[in-house]
Amino acid sequence: MARVDLAGVGIWSKSFSGWEQFCAVVNGASVDADPKLKPELIPARERRRAPQFVKMAVEVMDQACNMADVDRSSVATVFASGMGDMEITDYMCRTLATMPRTISPTKFHNSVHNAATGYWSIATESNAPATAVSGYANSSAIALLEGATQAIEENIPVLVAVQEGAAPNPFKSVYDSDQPLAVSLLLMPTGECSSPICEFRIGVSGGDLPEEKPVSLAGVDLNGNFIVELLDLLLVVAEGDNRRLDLPISPSGTLSINVTRPGNKGHG
Amino acid sequence: MRLEIGPYTASSAAGIGLVEMRESIVTKRTGLRRNDLEGCDLDTWIGRVEGLEKVALPEGLEHLQSRNNQLAWLGLQQDGFLESIIDLKSRIGADRIGVIIGTSTSSIGRTEEAYERLLPTEEMPEEYRQPHVHTLHSPGLFVATVTGLTGPAMTISTACSSSAKVFASASRWIHNGFVDAVLVGGVDSLCNSILYGFNSLELISANQCRPFDRRRDGINIGEACGYAIVTREGFLPDARLHLAGYGESSAAYHMAHPHPKGRGAVIAIDLALERAGLTADSIDYVNLHGTATPANDRIEGRVLAKRFSERTMASSSKGWTGHALGAAGILESVITLEAMSTGVIPGTLNCEEMDLEIEFQVITANIDAEIRYAISNSFGFGGNNATLIFGRIDG
Repeated sequence: MARVDLAGVGIWSKSFSGWEQFCAVVNGASVDADPKLKPELIPARERRRAPQFVKMAVEVMDQACNMADVDRSSVATVFASGMGDMEITDYMCRTLATMPRTISPTKFHNSVHNAATGYWSIATESNAPATAVSGYANSSAIALLEGATQAIEENIPVLVAVQEGAAPNPFKSVYDSDQPLAVSLLLMPTGECSSPICEFRIGVSGGDLPEEKPVSLAGVDLNGNFIVELLDLLLVVAEGDNRRLDLPISPSGTLSINVTRPGNKGHG
Repeated sequence: MRLEIGPYTASSAAGIGLVEMRESIVTKRTGLRRNDLEGCDLDTWIGRVEGLEKVALPEGLEHLQSRNNQLAWLGLQQDGFLESIIDLKSRIGADRIGVIIGTSTSSIGRTEEAYERLLPTEEMPEEYRQPHVHTLHSPGLFVATVTGLTGPAMTISTACSSSAKVFASASRWIHNGFVDAVLVGGVDSLCNSILYGFNSLELISANQCRPFDRRRDGINIGEACGYAIVTREGFLPDARLHLAGYGESSAAYHMAHPHPKGRGAVIAIDLALERAGLTADSIDYVNLHGTATPANDRIEGRVLAKRFSERTMASSSKGWTGHALGAAGILESVITLEAMSTGVIPGTLNCEEMDLEIEFQVITANIDAEIRYAISNSFGFGGNNATLIFGRIDG
């Protein structure tokens, strides 16, 4: 069992950007047709070279830090994605199939799975640990496990970013979603955050998988995206409920998250 | 809590399994060969695992076909490693054992093949529609599936530090009580993305790589896999080695170039020493990242000179194996553990004219010596650094 505080949330999709807009949509507001994706944290020169996938991550990571009083350079980062940057994989594989010697060196070094945490550490001048992981369809649960254990063991804030992009044509037979989604959760060791949004108590248990229950938000289509289950968690957080949620973490195991709202210390 | 290291194994161009690897090290026989990878016309040397193309995946797992999974499977069958897993499962339960595997490119070689054969509709051909293969988690999924381990399974992909970081994550999972043991490892196989990618950065050598030699001019790409069992104290009665410390850091400098003073590397080493409660002088041996690019070896030498005295021996083993990227961390951890177990410390193969401008002198010849504490360094793109310290368990 691991206990951590949730200190900040970031979220970006083609229907909303930011925690406030997400909560508004949850409460029935109409969706944003095309939220901008221009993370100011990355200097303009670097931003031109940064892949869309990296911009999604840095945007939500920055949003989560904005909600908490935290020094960005002190935060460890855990990036997670089941499919990784499919747009850049598509570029690499198409180029290799036709003119392999013309691979762009910038695109090649941007193709590493830890590109987003690399850009983040450079932009924030952070020497804190950074990792990039994958758990295929279970990447949300894996990222939470990795982030929570790191926050507790190393006694540092951990910024978890989980995301999936839109599948290019050749990938559609193995991953059928054209809706990108990025979510970031800033986890802090108990007692380190003056005004946590809520507390997560995280455990792993065997047993049946949770029932498939796609989140339904008016005007928002994210079905097929691996990490849509994180919206369930964010709904619980947004509604201020004390509730337990299960996410699949292996073929026969679940990550259970007990969400507890602090008595009168709610955020904001 | 002490994290104990049980059975381990590695397969690379320097040998399939530990017996072949020991033989290569003792006889100073390189596993590097002129590039003969099918479909790649680059003038370089590579560390290819002989006969890998002929390895058949277990019956029923044909849908997981990829060169990377063939390598993962070949490696699991060496040195009685699978039998050790079965034994551990029977003693502590499959659900109490996690799987953490490092890789840089996962099964992207298979994705490359699918793209060479795309249908006019832009779809992958039927036999390439493998959801569990075209994902970063392919090696973690494969190892969990084939071993039947049902604890949490994760793949780490942080370029060349990937399979060093598996030890740090395993330590945290175990210490937090989520699992009692973790099968850690790394698998990375030759593919065009990496070969042509490093070629575009002008980092690959047309010669055999020569770490710390004044004529060094780049890396050779290698493929490798390796595994180890790590457990909380007391689960392995025969354990003689333990993870004494680890350190992870970001250089925060550039996506593809190392920090000129090795800032991230120094932080990783210091964190590992601090966690282990050791001073630099208690480290007997350092297995270097030592890629044989002009910049890496110069900067790593500077980092070593800053922290270590001449009593610490240091070498790069990449002249035997090439740079195994996402599998380098586990491969070189196993080489380090082997040096601690056998008392044979590998020199720096292919370093014939040592670069005297490098601030720390590496050992070039193999040396027989007892090691109590040893370090393995892994540094990667995105400024991602990891240092591991292994120790001997006395008694």
